[in-house]
Amino acid sequence: MAPWRKWLVCLFVLISGFVTQAAVATTSSESTPLVFLAKHERWLALLHWNQGTTFRSRNKSYVTQESFFLSPHGRSDALSELNATVRALKPENSPERCRFPARYRFLSEHLGWSLAGAFDHCDEYQEWRAMVPDARVVLVFPAAYLNSPSSMFGHTLLRLDASDADDKGSWLSWAVNFGAVVDDEASMLYIYRGLAGSYPGYFSTVPYHTKIQEYAHLENRDMWEYPLTLNLEERQWLIEHLWELQDVRFDYYFLDENCSFRLLELMEVARPGSGLLTHFRFTEIPVDTVRAMIHADLVAGENYRPSKAVELKAIGAEMSRSERRLAQRLSKEPDYNQASFSELSVVKQRQVLKAAYELLRFQQRNKERDATAARHSMQLLRRLSAYPKSSDTKPIPPAPPEVGHGTKMVAVTGGALEGDGYGQLEYRWAYHDWFDPPQGFLAGAQIEAFRTKLRYDKNNRLQLQDLGIVDIRSLATRDAFVKPISWYVRGGIERIAVSGRYEVTTYIEAGPGLSWQWSAFRPYAFVAVRAEHHKQHQQYIEPGVGATVGALWHGPKGLVLGASAESFYFLRDEVRHQGRLTASLPVATHHALRLSTKHQAWRKKGDTEVELSWRYYFD
Amino acid sequence: MKKILLAGALLGASMSASAVAPGGPGCGWGNMVFEGKSGLPVHLLATIVNGTSGNATFGMTSGTNGCSTDGALTYNGSSLLSMNGVLEEVAHDVAMGEGEALTALSVSMGVEAQDREHFNAVLHNNFDSIFTSEDVTAAEVQANINAVLKADEALSKYSV
Repeated sequence: MAPWRKWLVCLFVLISGFVTQAAVATTSSESTPLVFLAKHERWLALLHWNQGTTFRSRNKSYVTQESFFLSPHGRSDALSELNATVRALKPENSPERCRFPARYRFLSEHLGWSLAGAFDHCDEYQEWRAMVPDARVVLVFPAAYLNSPSSMFGHTLLRLDASDADDKGSWLSWAVNFGAVVDDEASMLYIYRGLAGSYPGYFSTVPYHTKIQEYAHLENRDMWEYPLTLNLEERQWLIEHLWELQDVRFDYYFLDENCSFRLLELMEVARPGSGLLTHFRFTEIPVDTVRAMIHADLVAGENYRPSKAVELKAIGAEMSRSERRLAQRLSKEPDYNQASFSELSVVKQRQVLKAAYELLRFQQRNKERDATAARHSMQLLRRLSAYPKSSDTKPIPPAPPEVGHGTKMVAVTGGALEGDGYGQLEYRWAYHDWFDPPQGFLAGAQIEAFRTKLRYDKNNRLQLQDLGIVDIRSLATRDAFVKPISWYVRGGIERIAVSGRYEVTTYIEAGPGLSWQWSAFRPYAFVAVRAEHHKQHQQYIEPGVGATVGALWHGPKGLVLGASAESFYFLRDEVRHQGRLTASLPVATHHALRLSTKHQAWRKKGDTEVELSWRYYFD
Repeated sequence: MKKILLAGALLGASMSASAVAPGGPGCGWGNMVFEGKSGLPVHLLATIVNGTSGNATFGMTSGTNGCSTDGALTYNGSSLLSMNGVLEEVAHDVAMGEGEALTALSVSMGVEAQDREHFNAVLHNNFDSIFTSEDVTAAEVQANINAVLKADEALSKYSV
């Protein structure tokens, strides 16, 4: 068939569609025809309709719970659900009204139903609604937490405030969270189930201060709070719809239909046409959600809430070495009052006592209640209370997460291995490595997933050079007060020199380490175990042990320099050494230049590789 | 294959299921300083509905680790104080003379904005009589605060 005929057919279908719809419209007794209303953005948002934003559940609702629908076909037929809703919600004293206040508001707006007294018979709903704070909605982003796989890219939730004045304190606010109900996080099935959507996801609310305690105090995650521009009417839509979501089950998919994605849906209920769901979203990384909401003009400001560890470091940074030692001593001997303490100025005395208290609490944060620590804490507070009121110096906020580079990356590289030139293409699905532009990211935290390098060499061969499935490094620096363990884990496929021959090697490698910080300089050391497989080895899997030492230096304008040396020894008496020098300079927010050189050595011989890359970051 | 699974473990599980390491942390914080041996009534969690329904959702925060019971999400002074970890934060803020936990306490007790600074100062000056020992309970703290407020001319109207 000629293409123009196809178009004609298409046009005809379109026209006939209009005619049919018009016919239905005229027979409808309501003020707005239901067939049109069933396609209304807000109606589809209230049903959590997938209009093509993600690849599962297309053209139907994400909700998998039957009781969410009033029509037996409701999950896949928005019109049928609308008809059933009209029927169910119309009678006065209808019990369904109490379940679906936002749907009722929608119908009242479009069909002229009265809102006055519409929910008088809904005691439970009225009681709840009166309790919900609705003066402000805030988007909250607890930053990356490397020590839990579920929080590695951060998290997002909403907060409902009783007042839009900041001095009221957000402790009494409500946190609105969408999360999976996981009963077997430790098991191997966790990953599979998380990816396959077999965990149920529910909305929940908790007092916001429990979230502060959970993230900022226990997990040492900085939190970013973004007040939203939703007006009173939009907030009402959101809250009324939240009630409709009580006990409603979604399937939870870690990659796309996750905590962040569902918040976008709530925004669409509050403000249809926000454009948040118009683009296909293959994965939903929390910081992208923040960016999307900023882009949609939903964000009116931001507030930084430092973690306890950051606060403690900031206090420590203001003290001299001897004062820090004194604080450590006081945390063990809260009564200590020798000359070294009493000779300090009043301001310093208070600061040292405060540091001692915070240090003690920090050390106890993940532990069962300890009677001695509790007594010491109380003694320190009692001493502190004798000093006049004064505020602590607040840590200086780092660059917020949304100004960071894009979460995905492509790079083109030119290089030479022992003088032989090559070209290389690289793609990385997520997220950030030690040398990428550091602004907006947690310093020393590297999370790379699905990093792929294809190399075209002088023999005109196109080869897989690297497939990093994961490469995660947590460089947590130690100081007088905070003494975390650093660690790394990486796994995938890489082409490396094995006894002088380049082999495609599948591997997994991991180990603990220590790191420190002296101004811009961060030295580190790791020990590691590695298991690998390649065709040279007799055994199927070859184990090895190794160690790495290195340092990072963070310069002005996002410049990062790094040097490292590592050695591995394998069971089959193979040794492998590697030295690296890397320099990276951001060129713009989403561009960086990277120069690196690597020397691989084995018994008596070695190869040197030098390369220059242009890296482009995007979302 | 195992490697890929492991990789998936680290990666796929990302994007936060609002998860916390199971078992401990959400609970541990609450077990800290001043929580009495007798066991406080803990009204930590409330869900959209005020009942059992959403409780399972909190398996990841602290709902299922034995540190909480259901409770309405309402705040008057005493129920706020009896929440996990709050007593410790309030004690800290009273010792310092200000802070978010202290603000929350004053708001939940109905202290009006113009009286809050005075409220903070009075509590700060009476730390010893409010937090009598590390084993003090939320109910005792509330009673002690009431006694302190009663003795203050401007604040006596807020004592329960």
